[in-house]
Amino acid sequence: MKYVGLVLKSARRSKRRTALTILSVAIAVFLFASLRAVLDGFNAGTEASSSTRIVTIRSTSLIFSMPTSHADTIRSTPGVQDLTWANWFGGIYKDPRNFFANMAIEPESYLRMYPEIELTPDERAAFLQDRTGCIVGDGLARRYGFKVGDRITLKVGIPTYGTQDYDFTVRAVYRSGGAAVDNQSMFFHWKYVDERSLVKGQAGWFVVKVANPDQAPQVISAIDQKFANSPYETKTDTERAFQSSFVSMFGNLNLLLGSISLAVVITTLFVAANTMAMSVRERTTEIAVMRTLGYPSSTIFLLVAGEALVMSIIGGVIGVVLARVIVSPNLMQAGAFIPVFGVNNANAATGLALSAFIGVVAGVIPATMASRLKIVDALRRVA
Amino acid sequence: MALIELRDVTKSYMRDAITIPVLDRVSISVEGGDFLGLMGPSGSGKSTLLNLLAGIDRPTSGSIRVGDTEISSLSERVLAGWRARHIGFIFQLYNLIPVLTAFENVELPLLLTSLSKDQRRDHVMTALGIVGLGDREKHYPRQLSGGQEQRVAIARAIVTDPTLLLADEPTGDLDAKSAAEVLTLLQRLNQEYKKTIVMVTHDPHAAERASHLLHLEKGTLVEQAIGARG
Repeated sequence: MKYVGLVLKSARRSKRRTALTILSVAIAVFLFASLRAVLDGFNAGTEASSSTRIVTIRSTSLIFSMPTSHADTIRSTPGVQDLTWANWFGGIYKDPRNFFANMAIEPESYLRMYPEIELTPDERAAFLQDRTGCIVGDGLARRYGFKVGDRITLKVGIPTYGTQDYDFTVRAVYRSGGAAVDNQSMFFHWKYVDERSLVKGQAGWFVVKVANPDQAPQVISAIDQKFANSPYETKTDTERAFQSSFVSMFGNLNLLLGSISLAVVITTLFVAANTMAMSVRERTTEIAVMRTLGYPSSTIFLLVAGEALVMSIIGGVIGVVLARVIVSPNLMQAGAFIPVFGVNNANAATGLALSAFIGVVAGVIPATMASRLKIVDALRRVA
Repeated sequence: MALIELRDVTKSYMRDAITIPVLDRVSISVEGGDFLGLMGPSGSGKSTLLNLLAGIDRPTSGSIRVGDTEISSLSERVLAGWRARHIGFIFQLYNLIPVLTAFENVELPLLLTSLSKDQRRDHVMTALGIVGLGDREKHYPRQLSGGQEQRVAIARAIVTDPTLLLADEPTGDLDAKSAAEVLTLLQRLNQEYKKTIVMVTHDPHAAERASHLLHLEKGTLVEQAIGARG
């Protein structure tokens, strides 16, 4: 502990250089934690998927709809316990930049299917009773200041829903009870939208609840077989696979974001190592003096390595704090695609560990240089 | 028994496969409480001799005994511990750590000991008091004059109460007044505190303060003069 003051004083020797090094580590850790948050956010829906829910879409693509009459056929499949459907509405709130998910749902069955959408009985009743009513997630409500009773007008984003704007009344603000449902979405009655749609009776996807998760593969196969060779062939999968395929539409995010993180970390490592090496070179005489005073090589090694570690960890703490403050649904509008968005404790801890790793690796070579310094040569260099 | 015994000490360096002799079979005895001045022209090997005594360099051959310890055979790690306990080194250019205060500079050698914070403070303030800078403990080197910096460096050298004080041209970078103050201080440490001092110098005025003088020329001891003062 008695050397801590010495390490801190040494780090303050060149304030600008130390500040820039700390900043570079902070940025690296910030980017790492943020990118991990994005990845985790994308994966959260997949991780939290229910094993009893399966999803049926058109075999061609998610963007094509199918008749709601499929519902009866699916419901009659052995092993199916419940069913609901929804449509991606794609409405625009005031400006296209105000993007959030808004979906037309068959309300009663949808709320039954997704107990993660948390509403009180009164809120639930108020929504079900109003054909033009809607519910919004508490995250979305915070972002736009929506409250119960407010009128929300959505412009039509997909031509099949007509040309006239849709008016909704907020009947409840729901809480998300699990990562399978985000708190950044808006749900309203499918019937209200269907009445004004150019093509009636269409569903974007069906969500099916199976009685026994072990039977899901058989149910999936049975549903798709029923619609084989029809104009509306289907592709049914588990909710997990559905979420994964949704994420994969963005490409190989793990590889992409992982590569960016790695590049940033390696660059920062070189910056920090170079800074420490410069610092040691400038302090050649001081190190020689300390060795003359009796400081063993091992202590010199620890002092230099400790300095790199301290700088790096300070940068790491700053990076993590910034990431936790900035990367949150309240400040960044990513919720529509990423149900759970934020730097969790595990990512914060990994970010800090990463900063410690940068500190240790960046400090090893300069610390070795310092500890192996020949006293007489170092003193002669300046004498 | 003499405090320091050098027997047939030879030191040579290799430069591009050429052996450069610096010291040639030098033998010296220094008694405890002595103030020895080492004189000689540049390149005569006096600083090398001082470095060998300090244990920061090793002889090519010969033996160096300080007290009961044959230091030429110690490992690097043991030698570092030995330096911390037995050697106080005063450099020509003071070599204080610029980011540390006078107090912290003097405290540096004590961080290697098991003394408590309060004990370290007592030792540091005593050492600063001896060199007359008790009121400058919070000053940084840049806030001190050259003479004051050298006195802080002396305080750093004596704070562990070492067996031996080694001074390499301690007045070489000082004006005449500051140099005189530093020499008076060294003389006081020798006479009042019975410190054994070996001082390398070019300056005849500095050499006058020593109780014994040795002259080195081309790596050999050419003359052994007994100082007038003692």
